[in-house]
Amino acid sequence: MHHFRTLLWHELRTAFFTWSNWAAAALFLTLVGAIHWFAILECSRAPQPWTPVEATFRLFWLPLLCVLPLLTMRSFAEERRQGTLSALLTTTASTAAIVWAKFISAWITWVVFWLAFLPFPLLTEARLAIPSDTRLGDPATLWGGLCFIMVSGLLHVAIGILCSCLTRSATLAALLTFITLLGLTAAGGAIESLPIESWTWLGWLREPAAHLRTFGHLEDFASGILDSRPLILYITGTFLCLGLSVIAVEGKE
Amino acid sequence: MAESSPQPKAAVAAESLTKRYGNLVAIEDLTFSVAPGEIVGFLGPNGAGKSTTMRILSGTMAGTSGRASIWGESVALNPTAAKRHMAYMPENNPLPEDLKVEEYLSLRARLKDVESKQVADRVRKVMEDCDLVRRASGRLIGQLSKGFRQRVGIADALLAKPKVVILDEPTIGLDPHQILGIRDLIRSLRGEMAVLISSHILHEVEQVCDKVVIINRGRLVAQGKTEDLRRELLPDSVFHILSRASLNEISAVCLQNEKLSLVEKIGEIEGGWCRYQVTMPSQSPARETLAGSLIQAGLPLREIAEQHCGLEDIFIAATRRSPQERNRA
Repeated sequence: MHHFRTLLWHELRTAFFTWSNWAAAALFLTLVGAIHWFAILECSRAPQPWTPVEATFRLFWLPLLCVLPLLTMRSFAEERRQGTLSALLTTTASTAAIVWAKFISAWITWVVFWLAFLPFPLLTEARLAIPSDTRLGDPATLWGGLCFIMVSGLLHVAIGILCSCLTRSATLAALLTFITLLGLTAAGGAIESLPIESWTWLGWLREPAAHLRTFGHLEDFASGILDSRPLILYITGTFLCLGLSVIAVEGKE
Repeated sequence: MAESSPQPKAAVAAESLTKRYGNLVAIEDLTFSVAPGEIVGFLGPNGAGKSTTMRILSGTMAGTSGRASIWGESVALNPTAAKRHMAYMPENNPLPEDLKVEEYLSLRARLKDVESKQVADRVRKVMEDCDLVRRASGRLIGQLSKGFRQRVGIADALLAKPKVVILDEPTIGLDPHQILGIRDLIRSLRGEMAVLISSHILHEVEQVCDKVVIINRGRLVAQGKTEDLRRELLPDSVFHILSRASLNEISAVCLQNEKLSLVEKIGEIEGGWCRYQVTMPSQSPARETLAGSLIQAGLPLREIAEQHCGLEDIFIAATRRSPQERNRA
C-alpha cells in the first residue's frame, strides 16, 4: 500500500473540486429531500405504520441506484480513457494503493452525502416535534439507518469501483454499476418477499437467503440489532470486489 | 529519489524480449541495451513495436517472454525497484486536465519517492529547467498548449533525478523553437541519465543521440553508432557530378581510379550539361582523388559533391532488409 495516503488526499481533493460530484450531491439532496418531504406529508394526513425517517431509509435504493454510479463511474474509466492511469502506474505507487485510495475517497463522499441529509429530519424535529414524541422519527432509527448506509456502502461503492475498472467508458461503468446494484438490491428484496420458509424443497436456500435480505439488514440496524452476518457479507464482498479491481487494473494495463 | 546503487553495465537491458497478442507478434526476440549516461534513439516505422517495447521497459505492460531490466533490476520481478530508477513519458503524454502544473508536479514528486522536504525545491528546479515558471506554473494543465504540455511531461520525467529516462515521441506536435528547446534539454542530460528516446524526426535523433536502435515489424534490424551503421548498411559512396563530358569519358576516368565504380547518367540540363551519379566503395582511396582526376583529364566540370548519407538513409536501408539478412550480417 505504498503511497496510499498521498493518493487518498489527492482523490479527496479531486472529488471536492469535481463539478460532477457537486451535481451528484444536488441530485442526491433533491431526491432524498423530496422523499422525506412526501413522507412527512403522508404522516400529517393520516397515522402511518412508519415514521418519515424510516420511510426515507426504506427508499435508500433510489439514491443508491441514481447517484452512487455517478460517484464511482469516473474513478478508473476516465483515467484509463485519458491515459493518466498508465502514467500513475509508472510511479512506485502500488495498484492496491491506487484502488483503495479511490475506493475510500468515493465511500467518504457517499457517506458525506448522507450526512448532508441529517439536517432535514433534525430541523423538522426541532421545528415540529413535541418532546418525547417520536412520530417524526426515532433518533435510533436515524443513526441506525446511517450505520446501515455506511456498512452496506462499503460493498456498493466497491461494486462501482470494480465496474469502473472494467471499461474505458464512464457511461458504461455507470450503467454496469446501476445494473449490478439493482440486481443486488432487488435480489435481497425479492428473497425477502418469497415465502421460502413454507417451501420444503427450497429449504437449503433458507440460510444463504437470510444473508441477502438487504431491507432486513436495514431494519436490524435501525432497531439497534448488530448482527455479525451482514457485516461479514458486506466486508467480504468489499474485499472481493476490490481484489478483483486490482487484478482488472493490472491485467488491463 | 533514485537511490545511489552500484552502476551496472547497462542502464536499460532488453534480452530476447517478446510480446504476443494471440497470434499477432508485436515484438520478437528483441535484444539491446543502453549504457549509463548514454542517449539512445529508438527508431522504427509506425507499428514496428516501439511503444510496446517502451511500455514493457517501463513496467506498464508485461512481456510474453524475455527479460527487461532497468539499472540492473528486473522490471517483472522487482517492479518497484526498477520504477525507482526510471521515468517514462508515454506517447501523447497523458496529463490530468484539472490540476495546476505545480500541483501536478508536487503530487508526482511525492509518488516518485522524493523526500517531503525536497519536493518544493525539486518542483521549482525542473520547472526552471523546462521553462515552465513564468508562463505555466499557476495555470491548469488543460489550458496549456501542446508545447507546454510536453514540457510538463519532461519535467515530470526529471523530477526524481532518475537513472533512466524513457521518452516516447517527446517532440511530437511541437514547433521548431520548441523542438530546439527540448533537444537542448535532452542533450543536457548526457552523462547524467541514460535516455531512450523514440522519434520520427530522424534529423533530431541524429543530432542528439549517441547510438540508435532500429526495429522493424517487432524485430531488431540494426543498432550501433550512426557512423558504424553507415559503414555497415551503406557500404558505397555516391558522388553527384555536373559535367559537359560524355558518359564514356566520365566512366573512363572513374574506372581508372576505381575498378568497382558505377557511373550513371541521371539527367540533362540546358547547354549540354549533364548530371552523373558515381557509386564506389566507401573504403576506396579513389574517393579522395576523383575530383582531381576529372580536372586533370580536362573534362568540363561545374560541380562534384559526395552525397551525405544521413540517418534517414540508414533508417530506410535498415528497415528495408529482412531480419535474416541482419542475422547474416
